[in-house]
Amino acid sequence: MSYKIIQSLDKFLRFPEAKAHCDVPCGIYDPISAQIDALTVVRMIDLMDGLTSGDEKTRKDFHNSMSRYVAVKEQHAEKAKHEIRVIWGDFIKDAHIETYPQLPGLVHKIMQLGSKCRQTADRDHGLALVAAINEFAEIFWAIKDVKIKKAKAPYAPALEMVYPDL
Amino acid sequence: MIKIIKVTGSSLSPFFLSGEYVLVWRASRNFKAISPGDYVVFNHSQFGLLIKKVILNDPLGKYIETEGIHPDSLSAQKIGKIPYTDIVGKVLKRIHPKAS
Repeated sequence: MSYKIIQSLDKFLRFPEAKAHCDVPCGIYDPISAQIDALTVVRMIDLMDGLTSGDEKTRKDFHNSMSRYVAVKEQHAEKAKHEIRVIWGDFIKDAHIETYPQLPGLVHKIMQLGSKCRQTADRDHGLALVAAINEFAEIFWAIKDVKIKKAKAPYAPALEMVYPDL
Repeated sequence: MIKIIKVTGSSLSPFFLSGEYVLVWRASRNFKAISPGDYVVFNHSQFGLLIKKVILNDPLGKYIETEGIHPDSLSAQKIGKIPYTDIVGKVLKRIHPKAS
């Protein structure tokens, strides 16, 4: 079908326009979702530890709880990666990378740590994921020119987190 | 039913260019016919009529999630979940200057 014919018809018929937007002023980005996901991963590993130190391995409740912890750990490790990818893909620009040349390596590290947290139940991998995403958050807020504060999360596992100081 | 829609904006560039037209299959909004990777046109409560790439199709058939492919396009987070009832249709064919 010819583009020119459609274009001529458009002048009379005025076809509806669908926007493939790139210019809507939106700007709602926040690494807090990824930070909470990473905390959740550590929390699930802690709950798994608590369960295995008990004496209930033959009970179906044990398997039920363990399955749930594993599933939530999987889900949140993947979601942490997704949230960081969104900020990386949609918010971070070349100029930011020039100012913070460590960003590509850091994002790659977060992707790998997220996968490690799915593959294993090693708390150190969870802690490393939290630390890497906090480092990302620190750079993110510096780009936005927002001061940060470091404080312990007000819930288990109560790790130190980077928050905007508003 | 087929509908002709004009594409504006560059969030799907270089695959869809501003000013080209797409043929949209309206019946496909009832689908199962949508898969991740397809392009769909839908009504968004905040942003109006949008064309985006499908990244997720709810297994229960209630909504889809979409994104642009240009770095500056709206993120999937901001577009949110699109109920099937808001889908205008799936893009069947592009009509752009170079193809004609």
